[in-house]
Amino acid sequence: MAENLIFSSKEISFLRELIKQDVKFILVGLSAAALQGAPVVTQDIDLWFKNLADPGIKKALKKVGGVYVHPIGLNPPTFAGDSVKLFDIVSTMHGLDSFDNEMCNSIKVSLGQIQIHVLKLERIIKSKETVGRAKDRIVLPVLKDALETIRSLKKLKT
Amino acid sequence: MHISPAKLKSLYESKEMHLKRLLSLAGVSKSAYYHLLYKDTLLPDSLHRIAQILEVRPSAFLEEINPDEKKMRKILSLTDKISASRPTLDRDNIRHTLILLNEKPIERLRRSLIRGRKLNILQ
Repeated sequence: MAENLIFSSKEISFLRELIKQDVKFILVGLSAAALQGAPVVTQDIDLWFKNLADPGIKKALKKVGGVYVHPIGLNPPTFAGDSVKLFDIVSTMHGLDSFDNEMCNSIKVSLGQIQIHVLKLERIIKSKETVGRAKDRIVLPVLKDALETIRSLKKLKT
Repeated sequence: MHISPAKLKSLYESKEMHLKRLLSLAGVSKSAYYHLLYKDTLLPDSLHRIAQILEVRPSAFLEEINPDEKKMRKILSLTDKISASRPTLDRDNIRHTLILLNEKPIERLRRSLIRGRKLNILQ
């Protein structure tokens, strides 16, 4: 049943609304790596926004019944609501260039009827190497192997 | 065993295609197609001789390769090739990446999320 699917029409509607509102965002993190074929697991879909104050974000949230929760204490801002519970907000990416430069270098991936900007696998690796948390170090060998596999496959096809 | 133009026509028409489009998508030249079409049998003579001895039709001992098996065989063969050229890569990582590359991006994402939410080890 479509309703039971993880990442279904609810989540796609939110992304579609963000695009409709011309909100500048890039899908980053392990979900971005998974979209490119890396065999990794993740709990959330990280969205890196150029400008968190963009009114289009709130308009998109309103359309899908979600809300923006401001930072509380040391906790970063977040979204709340069934249709946006899979998404996490990213306002800074370590080890990378500016949002605009990374946006230019990102790839476009189709998710059903929409196309979204996704951070390239090599840039995800760069960011995780820079941050270097324990959970990043664990997943880095898998990301690097996936990248080399994709490159080798391209070579074999040419 | 030979090609039935009528059966083939009904198949490509059901997909709203013409023969020319079908051949182009399949990467089969027109001359190769007509060469196959006018052959009395597509099976090698050796198979007919074996069938004759056994007094059965060749189809009695022929089996169609399951498309999933065919896909997996291709992935495993590619895994071997990449592993041979890049021995430092983990074979499982190569294989899993190739499996995922055969899926649509949305399916790759769903798989990672389903597993991530069922098995919360890292976060």
